[in-house]
Amino acid sequence: MLADLVQNTLDGLAAGSAYALLAVGFTLIFGVLRRVNLCYGPAIMLGCYAATFVHLSFGAGLLVLALVCVLASVLAGGYVERLCFAPHRKGSGIAAMVASFALWMQLEEVAILALPKHLYPFPALYDGKPIDLAGFTIRVEALVMLGAASVVCAALWWVLYRTRFGIAARAVIDSPLAAELSGISVPRVSMGVFALASAIGGLAGFLVSASFEQVTPMLGMWSTFKGLLAMMLGGLGSLPGAVAGALVLGLVEAHSQWFLGPQLRDLLAFLMLFMLLAIGPRWMTTR
Amino acid sequence: MALLELQGVSRHFGGVRAIDGLDLEVREGEILGLIGPNGSGKSTAVNVITGLYPPSAGRIAFDGRDITAAATHRRLSEGIARTFQNIRLFGGLTVWQNLWVAQNSARDRAARGFLSRWMGGQSGAREGIGKLLAFAGLAGREDELASNLAFGEQRRLEFARALAAKPKLLLLDEPAAGMNAGEIADLDERIRAVRERGVTVLLIEHHMELVMAVTDRVAVLNFGQKIAEGTPAQIQAHSAVRKAYLGGDH
Repeated sequence: MLADLVQNTLDGLAAGSAYALLAVGFTLIFGVLRRVNLCYGPAIMLGCYAATFVHLSFGAGLLVLALVCVLASVLAGGYVERLCFAPHRKGSGIAAMVASFALWMQLEEVAILALPKHLYPFPALYDGKPIDLAGFTIRVEALVMLGAASVVCAALWWVLYRTRFGIAARAVIDSPLAAELSGISVPRVSMGVFALASAIGGLAGFLVSASFEQVTPMLGMWSTFKGLLAMMLGGLGSLPGAVAGALVLGLVEAHSQWFLGPQLRDLLAFLMLFMLLAIGPRWMTTR
Repeated sequence: MALLELQGVSRHFGGVRAIDGLDLEVREGEILGLIGPNGSGKSTAVNVITGLYPPSAGRIAFDGRDITAAATHRRLSEGIARTFQNIRLFGGLTVWQNLWVAQNSARDRAARGFLSRWMGGQSGAREGIGKLLAFAGLAGREDELASNLAFGEQRRLEFARALAAKPKLLLLDEPAAGMNAGEIADLDERIRAVRERGVTVLLIEHHMELVMAVTDRVAVLNFGQKIAEGTPAQIQAHSAVRKAYLGGDH
């Protein structure tokens, strides 16, 4: 029993660090632009398909695939920004969100219809044995993801607090109007934020695909759900909150899958979100 | 010579004509006061000049160039900066960062290469920020979060932030609102000091003593139209102005 708890906790933290990467990108867009980008996951999915294509055609190695994944996700993210968010920059956030939903459907249909197969293999991140630690197993992929999540968070902190771009982005958070009137180009900041968030998402997509060793069109929906859920659990728009929310989500899923079964796992995660939104403290809805 | 010229500028909101065929000229090097009762269109005029609203009709020229359709952040780098009636600082940034992030004059932008613009490159900016801090009386407070400043300090920081863009024209939107007599005297000095450096000032203000003391010329708006223009002394004696302010036949 105790052994199960410990093992579940390790597995949960492993899953949570993948969610953390997804949630950080999601939160960056919401935090700076106050917009929910539902097409975040599908853009990542396209990035992963691009990578698996490069792998199958040219036999490229993992490092190249990671770069392809990030670059293609950034391109797809830029496409989403141009189509869904640039036209609604001063308008309604709901309109932008609905537009991003429409684009989600478009990208998913493209993946389903245009590709000859749905399921593609992705090269494994690591094909050795998992680490054995006093009877508990830890997957090496999980350690890589945890490390990547930590490095990305540190790098993001540096960008947001030390670079001109980051400080301009935070100025936009405080007052988009004053930022514009102080000569900060809000469209450029918006594009930059989308590129940065998509790059982080692309990295997350690469790590997830490489540890699942496959890509399916479902990866888009999966990424959006996990990222959105973790962001909301973490209090909408707070980066440390998103990481914490992601780890909590991972833990709850791991434990409920073990004790209650896979059907109840997702149900419990959504129930938790509902409870927090319905009766949670005020900080849930502020930054 | 006119630095800023509005020709027949209108801005309608639905059926409301917030400004209606406004002609206004701000001459280089002057301090022009823009006054008028509440709802007379002063704020709309500022918002149209800075590009927040496109005008429904008319033409705006700045420094000999047509800027009627220019984007807001472009107008700033051309040389139009403003402060707000309700303070809008970047509260989550430090005092220093508030000024740094606003250094967006065309010259500063050009001086920052692509890489240094995105990756930092703070050294060249430091000196200018030091001067601005001294000007705003905020030396030594540079690492304070802007949201932690007192009201008067926030107003001074906003003033300095507008100057960080090295503007040719500074629009001050009711800078004396909420200030006491001592602070208004400071503000008066600061406006004159800015003009000494060659910045043209358009002062939108309700506080008549300040307007009459500091401006070279005054334009009066009512119902979105200019009803008078002249020296402070001429305006004080102007019957239409007294009528607009006091109502009835005075």
